[in-house]
Amino acid sequence: MSQDYTLQELMAVFIARDLRDGEVLRVGVAMPVVEAAVRLAHVMHGPNMELIFLGTRMNVAHLHSLPMPAFGWDRRVVRWAESYSDTGHRFDRVKDWHQHVFFIGGVQVDRFGNSNLIGVGPDYRRLRFRGPGPVGTATLTTHVGRYYIVLNSHTPRTLVERCDYVSAFGWGTGGADARRQLGLPGGGPKYCVTPLCVMDFAEGDKHMRLHALHPGVSQADVQAQTGFDLTTSQPVPTTPQPTPEELHVLRTRVDLAGLLRSTKGE
Amino acid sequence: MESTERQQRILGETDAAAWVESGMTIAVGSPPPMALVRQLIRRGVSDLTVIDSGLSLDLLIAGGCVRKVVSYYAGGGFGVAVAPSFRRAVEQGEIEVWECEEGILATGLQAAAQALPFLPWRGGVGTSLPQVNPDLKLMTDPIGGETLIAVPPVKPDVTLLHAATADPYGNVQHIGGPGWLDLFLHRAADRTIVQVERIIANEDTRANPWATTIPSVDAVVRAPYGAHPYYSRGFYVQDQAHLQAYVSAANASARENRPDDLVHYLATYCRQPATHADYLERVGIKRLLSLYEY
Repeated sequence: MSQDYTLQELMAVFIARDLRDGEVLRVGVAMPVVEAAVRLAHVMHGPNMELIFLGTRMNVAHLHSLPMPAFGWDRRVVRWAESYSDTGHRFDRVKDWHQHVFFIGGVQVDRFGNSNLIGVGPDYRRLRFRGPGPVGTATLTTHVGRYYIVLNSHTPRTLVERCDYVSAFGWGTGGADARRQLGLPGGGPKYCVTPLCVMDFAEGDKHMRLHALHPGVSQADVQAQTGFDLTTSQPVPTTPQPTPEELHVLRTRVDLAGLLRSTKGE
Repeated sequence: MESTERQQRILGETDAAAWVESGMTIAVGSPPPMALVRQLIRRGVSDLTVIDSGLSLDLLIAGGCVRKVVSYYAGGGFGVAVAPSFRRAVEQGEIEVWECEEGILATGLQAAAQALPFLPWRGGVGTSLPQVNPDLKLMTDPIGGETLIAVPPVKPDVTLLHAATADPYGNVQHIGGPGWLDLFLHRAADRTIVQVERIIANEDTRANPWATTIPSVDAVVRAPYGAHPYYSRGFYVQDQAHLQAYVSAANASARENRPDDLVHYLATYCRQPATHADYLERVGIKRLLSLYEY
């Protein structure tokens, strides 16, 4: 079957369908799939969602075409905001963040959903690869009700048995009470979405497992690109394909610039 | 000095930048006060501990000013995930990183402002941050017994900010609100210098004192287009082509061992122009006027 959507569009639609009306969605920089996903959800089924991006809080469901930032730190997005906040205010009222949803990437992500934005290499003083730093991810992942790990590459180097450094705690070394034991109030990672598949976290020990395979991708393909054992007992469903309406809205109201169409799906 | 008149706080950018001495801790706000940042590079200040993120931090590292970085984020942009000079200098062991995170840094700045030995923060519990930064101590909350991180004071000697306007007595007003950590950086610092697009009359400040975002800063520097190549809300957007050219030059130097473009950039835009006006002449009026906001 020929596909008329890209992998990035598939990922965005999967995430969008999982977001609920009324939620507060906190989006970081340089994540076009996430930026598109929250806007798609906003116009498809989330008129009461609030989008928080670069300190601006907006509800733009009434607009015909929703503003996407043209680049990572496009501070012009403030023109669509109902309010703006600096770090002091954004990191206030964390008591309410259980209603908020966050999205995180990672230089490395391990089998328990811990994320590393610090760097790679055994010696912290002489890292082989220095990452950009944790941004606000340690605080946000501590408190938000749930978050999504979204990666734009799926290789044994990005999905590892154990992160060299952990800058955002997922499920630690595993176990459903790992977060409660540390007193972390947030709900932890729900899904890890990559260009190959969607993974979730097993109820008992919280290790990452296959949830859905993107069309045309086999379980063996994913395992070959994953640095830890992804065994699963049940047959894994295929990631639901975008509907024509979702693609139409995505392309004509959200991603007008075609950021998600720059690479065609396999 | 005895005086019967209220003292104005307007300084030229070279005099203001001279407040920063080698070895000091400085903080750089958002958008970065680039006119002052370029003056630091021109003056050859070195061994600074710098609280900053992004490409202004990268430029200070490329300019040889930095010994230690306090940063929660050093992204590059333009297809480069990590600020190139930052990445190279850290990987080579040339600079030290005080590893932190946005909430942790804000907490450390707050501790400095409130003259406290530490403040607790929860974000970072369970992570590697207390291992890679031994100044962050895991502690047991004496009231409820919870595990938290004790964050020590983060205290700049001088904080450098950019804003829309200020009057001659250091009363600052932003358009669109102060950036990211600006208020924290100011409150924590011994002294704050703010460069502004326009200097306004004290009467204008008093006509709307609610609009004053930072009162009574130590020095005001007039620097129209002073955040270039970054944005200044209400005045201009960021200069994408210029920033892209910088990232390409820094990346070529750091990753491909081709330093020529970066050396040329530093000479052309930081070291040769004696003043901010000289810098603006090099950027050119057509480019500057093309950066309107809407």
